[in-house]
Amino acid sequence: MRDRFSRSIITVAIAAVAAGAILSVSITRTSAQTQTASGRTPAASAKSSATSAAALKTSWGEPDLQGIWTDESDTPLQRSPKYANQEFFTDAQRAELDKERASLLGRDRRVERGTELDVAGAYNAQFMSVKHTGARTSLIVDPPNGRIPPLTPEAQKIAAADREFRLALLQSTETCKNKSVGCAGGKYDPTPSPRFAELPPRYNTARMNRRNNPEDGALPDRCLTGGLPEFGGATGSFRRIVQTPGGITMFYDVGQGQGWQRNIVMNGSPHLPASIRQWYGDSRGHWEGNTLVIDVTNFSAKTDYQGSRENLHLVERWTRTGPNSLEYVVTIEDTTVWTRPWTVKQEFTKQSDEENGVYYEPRCIEGNYASPGLMRGQRMAEAAFARGEGPDPRLSDNATDFVGVEDDPLQ
Amino acid sequence: MRTRLLNSIGAVGVIVSVFMFLKPMGVTVAQEGSTTSTPTPKTVTSLKTPWGEPDLQGIWTDESDTPLQRPAKYANQEFFTEAQRAELDKERAALLGRDKRVERGTELDVAGAYNSVFMSMKRTGARTSLVVDPPNGRIPPLTPEAQKIAAADREFRLALLQSTETCKSKSVACAGGNYNPTPSPRRAERPARYNTARMNRHDGPEDGALPDRCLTGGLPEFGTAYGGSFRRIVQTPGGISMFYDVGQGQGWQRNIVMNASPHLPANIRQWFGDSRGHWEGNTLVIDVTNFSPKTDFRGSREKLHLIERWTRTSPTTLEYEVTIEDPTVWTRPWTVKQELTKQTEQENRIYYEPRCVEGNYAFPSMMLAARRDDLAFAQGQGPDPATKDNATDFVGVEDDPLQ
Amino acid sequence: MRRRFSGSMIAVAIVAAAVGAIVSMSITRTSAQAPAAAPISRPARIGGKPNLSGIWQANNEANWDLQAHAALPAAVTQPGVYPYDYARVPAAPVLALGAAGAVPGSLGVVQGDGQIPYKPEALLVKKENAEHWIDRDPELKCYLPGIPRAMYMPYPFQITQSTNKIHMAYEFSNTARTIHLDKVAGPPDDTWMGHSVGHWDGDTLVVDVTNFNDRSWFDRAGNFHSDALHLTERFTLKSPDLIWYEANIEDPKVFTRPWRIAMPLYRRAEPNMQLLEFRCNEFVEEFMYGGLRKQQLVKHWEGETMAVDITRKVPSGDKFYDWYGGK
Repeated sequence: MRDRFSRSIITVAIAAVAAGAILSVSITRTSAQTQTASGRTPAASAKSSATSAAALKTSWGEPDLQGIWTDESDTPLQRSPKYANQEFFTDAQRAELDKERASLLGRDRRVERGTELDVAGAYNAQFMSVKHTGARTSLIVDPPNGRIPPLTPEAQKIAAADREFRLALLQSTETCKNKSVGCAGGKYDPTPSPRFAELPPRYNTARMNRRNNPEDGALPDRCLTGGLPEFGGATGSFRRIVQTPGGITMFYDVGQGQGWQRNIVMNGSPHLPASIRQWYGDSRGHWEGNTLVIDVTNFSAKTDYQGSRENLHLVERWTRTGPNSLEYVVTIEDTTVWTRPWTVKQEFTKQSDEENGVYYEPRCIEGNYASPGLMRGQRMAEAAFARGEGPDPRLSDNATDFVGVEDDPLQ
Repeated sequence: MRTRLLNSIGAVGVIVSVFMFLKPMGVTVAQEGSTTSTPTPKTVTSLKTPWGEPDLQGIWTDESDTPLQRPAKYANQEFFTEAQRAELDKERAALLGRDKRVERGTELDVAGAYNSVFMSMKRTGARTSLVVDPPNGRIPPLTPEAQKIAAADREFRLALLQSTETCKSKSVACAGGNYNPTPSPRRAERPARYNTARMNRHDGPEDGALPDRCLTGGLPEFGTAYGGSFRRIVQTPGGISMFYDVGQGQGWQRNIVMNASPHLPANIRQWFGDSRGHWEGNTLVIDVTNFSPKTDFRGSREKLHLIERWTRTSPTTLEYEVTIEDPTVWTRPWTVKQELTKQTEQENRIYYEPRCVEGNYAFPSMMLAARRDDLAFAQGQGPDPATKDNATDFVGVEDDPLQ
Repeated sequence: MRRRFSGSMIAVAIVAAAVGAIVSMSITRTSAQAPAAAPISRPARIGGKPNLSGIWQANNEANWDLQAHAALPAAVTQPGVYPYDYARVPAAPVLALGAAGAVPGSLGVVQGDGQIPYKPEALLVKKENAEHWIDRDPELKCYLPGIPRAMYMPYPFQITQSTNKIHMAYEFSNTARTIHLDKVAGPPDDTWMGHSVGHWDGDTLVVDVTNFNDRSWFDRAGNFHSDALHLTERFTLKSPDLIWYEANIEDPKVFTRPWRIAMPLYRRAEPNMQLLEFRCNEFVEEFMYGGLRKQQLVKHWEGETMAVDITRKVPSGDKFYDWYGGK
């Protein structure tokens, strides 16, 4: 059989040469390419190493990264200092953490009912997932202490100025009067700050206690969130990867209608010109053996990842480590923000294609009652105050939330 | 096998070169005045494009002046005698020195702006009229409906003139109207139909004549005295396009659809209609429908239907024939025949730059002037604009014995 | 010389057969054409089926209006001096754009008699939609355009074809859809973009799309559908750079019978073509929320012949809810 195949190739080849054209041969598919059903338990090996799964290839011979992938366990980004340089939990530590965290499930994760910060249990255990504790003590694997490197002096200044501004907007609220953790570093002053009339020091991306304009909103409230790098959050983090010869696309579903697409450019061409900045940067990929390496630059100045904006540079490495596992490594650098690059490693588990548990409908804006509602509310409060019929809106805290989250022993 | 392939490539190469050699000739004949006296349509089968279609390509124009309609005195005489032509040429040449507007200083004077440099006067053509059918060389009678519409339209325009000198002095431009020092209340009315001609009001762009709005040019195109009428035809297998240059930046394009598909749907109306063509022997037949109600050809608007026949009659001549019908306007169809003469490619005397809008100072100026007149009148500092005639022109044109 | 070449071909072929992979030869180009990047060869077929991967774009006026129409003075018009449809003039929202705000004519993409077979009451809704285009067209709010509209918006989209899934990523907003060629469970809720299940019928990709909500439109002319919309799409590669796209449209709540649209989709053949972001939900904040600012930001514009003043209105009561997210 092989002989006949080769001979037919030869004939075609000769004709192609004669005509000076390209030869492309139809694919012979091996049968064992179908994906097996997902496992719901985390991958067996606690110490996952990037074992190359040479057999898992697409029908055209590339490593197969296709499928729906998510991290099925919870791992904090940074390692709690008490674990020092310990990279993995012991089984006992994991079991203990699972026990503690399970008891959180019944609780409302906001402060007591009736306080200004209560949102009536809107974000309870139904909405936010608590997954099994993962094997690693942190997603960060480098530096060896599992923590983000120190900020540069410049970045520290910027963060401080930003924090000062936000605290100024809170200084007349109950939050500061009660010395809530939401006012840490600030102070109470019954007179609203004159800084209410100022622009923030930089393009605003986070929640702040003012709603004069849409731009005062946090990016998520404006349906402008989602971004890279994406490690997951309380509302889930799924990525569906589809490949074709020479092309890879990833659709991300991170809940709350905030999904996005990535079309990885694989043709070796250089990055976009520096004048073109994008929310999700510019992703350029190539294969190194069985690993897909993606270089991401050209971020917009309106994005913000832990303080890094347009100078953010990511180098991702995606490797299929088993039928149900994919290792994601990303080195993160921004010389204007961190004193050195740092690296995250995360293991994804394949989800069942048939269950199709991804709802890629980035329809945040289509149902964004909150953003206009917040602004309308402020306008009405201001009007009432101007008529002498309501308190000064600047005495209310409409920014702080999730004050109870720090209860999670894993965070 | 490889040898065979190369052979076929070679064969193709040879054929291509042969076609190049056969490119149409006969394009260098000088074009000074037509010499034939009684042209009859001969089909010239040897003048074909390299792909075998009749070749209509080139720059074409009518090199002589022929009136659209035959003056009554010629009855059914289709062609001038040589003597008649010579006499006409003599009379018309005498017009060349004269300014073709009324006397200097009258309201209608435009200071010699449209003199013989601007307007061409060509030799008298062979035919007594462009209209060849009906046999009397004149456009058939209007239907009663069309007469009514034309009358109502004329009435309206005369009403807008009734307080002007034009009507006071009983100028021919006020024929059928009367003078009345009180401006007509109709000045506040909209015209009965979409306006296309000059009228004595400039309340807005739609009061302008189509030419003033750079919306003129239309089919059928026979040429006028105001700048010539050139059409450049280029062909390709299965396609023909024509670019018209009629002077004053009012050119347009025609892309003739040759794939036998039906006309556009009835709800799509176009200024230049929808042209669908096919070959009948050596004649290109083009059917044109779907005209917009904003066009107007002698009263015919959206129901205008043209059937054109284009035939190359010699190396230097092309016969253009068009049958014109609109049963709501004329009691029967009528046909025009015109002989076009080829212009030299190398001289390339066609300036296809339909840049009327780009230099349309006149139109906004007329409206601005009207607004200033309105304001001055309102302030008691100027005459009632209704007593001014800003519409009539070319009162002297009727002097041309050929028209 | 011929024999030596064949020898090397045999060796390559055997290796290829052994790993069950595709053999593709890089294109021999003349040096003058070599692009900066090494071109990834795109096989003509994947899994025995035509390869539709690449970046494509419709090149017609369907997003303006699926039906045949002559050119219009503007996207929003008002009566002119004459009471005729053909004599309307641009209206205030778009007047300053001049010819850039006009609507080009189109032969239309609706097959058959070119009509969209609305039920009488639905036709009234369509007319109302057209009249209130600025307030109601979801495109202006950067909402998900739905299918089929995403296929013929004037922006490129990228097809990534694998053996069990096909991704279509559209440049407009974060619009995308996954076409499932394998068996999957449906979505947990209604969708703007539909749930797409595909299979190959010979060399034609047939996609069945269901699970729509009633929120998207077909075009800027107010053509709409209900949540009963059901599409059957057909994608056929007519030549390497041309897909013939057809969609059969059924919606018994709105139309009296099914109807079809069809059009070519052209490959964006530029050598280094890639999709750029078009994240318009940021761009429409002024449009949608500018009336809720503490101080009106966009108020007045002055050109050489025209000044435009904007007065914002905030809908009250239920209309507030409707305008910002509801119907």
